[in-house]
Amino acid sequence: MSLFNTLIPSQASQPATTGQDRPADLAYTVKPVFEIKETPDAFGATVYLPGVAKEGLEITAEEGQVRIVGRRAWKQPEGWTALHRESADAPFELVLTHENAIDVDKIAAELRDGVLRVSLPKHEALKPRKIAVS
Amino acid sequence: MRLVRYSYPSFRSLTPMLGSFQRSPWSGLESEIDRLFSTALTDFGGANPNRFPVDLYEDANNTYVRAELPGVSREDINVEMTDGYLTLTAARKTVGADGKPQEAFSFSRAVSIADEVQTDKVTATYENGVLTVTLPKREEAKPKKISVAVK
Repeated sequence: MSLFNTLIPSQASQPATTGQDRPADLAYTVKPVFEIKETPDAFGATVYLPGVAKEGLEITAEEGQVRIVGRRAWKQPEGWTALHRESADAPFELVLTHENAIDVDKIAAELRDGVLRVSLPKHEALKPRKIAVS
Repeated sequence: MRLVRYSYPSFRSLTPMLGSFQRSPWSGLESEIDRLFSTALTDFGGANPNRFPVDLYEDANNTYVRAELPGVSREDINVEMTDGYLTLTAARKTVGADGKPQEAFSFSRAVSIADEVQTDKVTATYENGVLTVTLPKREEAKPKKISVAVK
């Protein structure tokens, strides 16, 4: 198999359990419900993160990626028995990939009542420009 | 009254994460199959944005109902207790750039509650997009310690 992998590197499949470099609490994550809207100047993302407080929210912008991690603020208190569960305790994680068309320094985010609104302004250089024909 | 089964946005994301760089060669096919099933099964409890998850908890004195309702203002949440059913109704209004209401959704869920609850002492709090309803149990339903003298 290793010979095959060296011949065709793109077919080399990784073992299913990757992510040793990730923190232990992000081993299981839930992808939140989200919406993305586009205006001429910016992209607007609305991410629904119920139960996430400001302290548990983490937004990181890497090369071509915006990662949103929301850890739930509430934990089941001692003595409470769950009779029926529909929600998960796992943290939320959303990774949005973009083509470097976003001005990372101008990203603004607002969290209110479990709804995160992120504005991702487009890069000045990539906005459509009108070219006058002489 | 409708029996509604909720399924969380994506169960696929609960499986151990394949790093985003090392995508499985089957991930495209898997997500396509997931999409197919979720559209075909919408009426049977597939992911539906107009349903919300509800958790039920219990301790010695109270029963708790927790509902995930992100982005709903407190005035638009309605909690009612009728005939042993707790009905949660909520409306979400999104405001567009021009200040006019853009979209409006309303959600409703009914949860059957055991008879042992004092219906007149129900309280509710809303924090971080999660509604918690506290339903105190009747005195006679609380667990009691009876010590029996052994002779």
